[in-house]
Amino acid sequence: MRVIEARGLTKRYGTMTAVAGIDLDVEAGECFALLGPNGAGKSTTIRMICCLGDVTDGSLTVLGEPAYPGNRRIKHQLGVVAQEDHLDPGLTVLENIELHGRFYGLDGGQARARALELLVFLQLDSRAGEQVRALSGGMRRRLVIARALMGGPRLLVLDEPTTGLDPQARLLVWAKLRELRAAGVTILITTHYMDEAERLADRLAIVDHGRILERGTPREVIDRVVGADCLECLGVAEALAARMIDVAATVPGARAERQGDGLVVFGPDAGRVLEAWRTAGLEPSRYVRRPSGLEDVFLSLTGRDLRE
Amino acid sequence: MSADAASAVPALGAEARAGAGLGWQMPRFNHRAFMVARRDFLAWAKYYRSSVLLNFGEPLTNLLALGFGLGTYVAKMNGDPFVDFIGPGLLAVTAMNAVTFDVTFEAYDRLNQNGIYQAMIAAPLSAAEIVGGEIVWEAARSLLYGAVFFSVLLVLGLVHSWWSLLLPLPLVAAGVLFACPGLLVATFAKNHEQLFYYFTLAVTPMFLFSGVFFPLAHLPAAVRLLIDVTPLFHVVNIVRALVLGTVGPGLWGDAAWVCAYCLALAALPARALARRLTT
Repeated sequence: MRVIEARGLTKRYGTMTAVAGIDLDVEAGECFALLGPNGAGKSTTIRMICCLGDVTDGSLTVLGEPAYPGNRRIKHQLGVVAQEDHLDPGLTVLENIELHGRFYGLDGGQARARALELLVFLQLDSRAGEQVRALSGGMRRRLVIARALMGGPRLLVLDEPTTGLDPQARLLVWAKLRELRAAGVTILITTHYMDEAERLADRLAIVDHGRILERGTPREVIDRVVGADCLECLGVAEALAARMIDVAATVPGARAERQGDGLVVFGPDAGRVLEAWRTAGLEPSRYVRRPSGLEDVFLSLTGRDLRE
Repeated sequence: MSADAASAVPALGAEARAGAGLGWQMPRFNHRAFMVARRDFLAWAKYYRSSVLLNFGEPLTNLLALGFGLGTYVAKMNGDPFVDFIGPGLLAVTAMNAVTFDVTFEAYDRLNQNGIYQAMIAAPLSAAEIVGGEIVWEAARSLLYGAVFFSVLLVLGLVHSWWSLLLPLPLVAAGVLFACPGLLVATFAKNHEQLFYYFTLAVTPMFLFSGVFFPLAHLPAAVRLLIDVTPLFHVVNIVRALVLGTVGPGLWGDAAWVCAYCLALAALPARALARRLTT
């Protein structure tokens, strides 16, 4: 069963087009990642999926229901982790998520039981009685995830869940998200951390300027866009670099590009480029050979210019 | 898309359209709205001592300084000693202030600073339910702070009638009456300073000119007409009549005004809030 199905999904604010007609399918039980630079349209897409923004054009079905602001039948089966924490500073840790459960229709006893269970799950049980302002950034984030789980969601939507967290906190969040996925929760996540997407996502889409540029499993996307293999050469003079790029182009599937004062080669097998250079007497003095990653895909698709 | 959805799911049609356009929408008072009120109660319960003291201190000071201080030099008002006259008026003001200052600052912060409303709307809550919950809570505050001030009037011997048992009615009405415009102002304000426009231009003039401190009989007809359309004036009339036992058929007119205000003002905040929360 498809949990999210978007066809030509479009969102315009006045004359500004934030989402420019995207097709998206998220299957039940998978973890799907939306990758893109700031302003790419990820959050706008998420807002429409969460019934927090209306659809300008196209169609959007979530959990078999048409998505529009206020569709309670979707919201009841949805857990939302927004970019901002939006925790209630007037309430304790336990009260924050307990009350949220009541919004989902749980009675007092059910909400208390579920809240305590989730505090244990996210390793916050020792903090239950504290005010939320006493929590660290990582704890706050975990509490927001606990809150999103109070309604027992079939779909969990997370907008940049680990931005600003230290490495330990990120590892814990990732582990919990993998546990949830294993328990059958469908997960939609946006991120601009490539390692996060590589670790979590079954499938992903790369978004920029409101459009989807590439989609598939991380492996598929890497192989298709840049090739599995990468060679980074450091400190290559301009004239030499030009000749090396020409030689690399003769190797099937390989592509070299200038990057700073160095050279980067992508392709299914960078070793063959190295051989071709040796044959031509152009072997670089310093190089690193490594597998290509999503970072390479991302930069190759969305460019290296800084985004506001 | 939205239009199709609204017709396919009639039970949710009204809410589907709530996100777009200007318009009227009555608040909803269901179990989810009561959970919003419960949230406010839980937060209030953590600082209620200072809150009660604060909301209680100012009108008490007014009563003592003006009623017993200034009042000694002031002639009788409509046949009542000055302190007996302003006591019930200050009771109505206590209710107005307890509601107004809470709802405007709190709603502004929930919308613009801590994102409490954003978290609520992401759960299965609608703007109409959030507004409903805030109205319930403010009505409770009005009752509570009114009751505390009433006990002072009682101790000072300023309560003259068993009609006072009906005071919960105007107090609850005051809760609705002042919660709704406060919510609306909070929805439109761009910063805290803009909230003070509302206090300075609407709340303070009402406080001074709604018959709390002096009867309006000697004012020019045009001014009386203006005061007649302000809600606090009618609440003051009702509260004073109940406390002093001067209940007459004219009170039905005040009651009708107050009910009309409650209905009209209650329809305003939900759409405005929905527009802020769903874009």
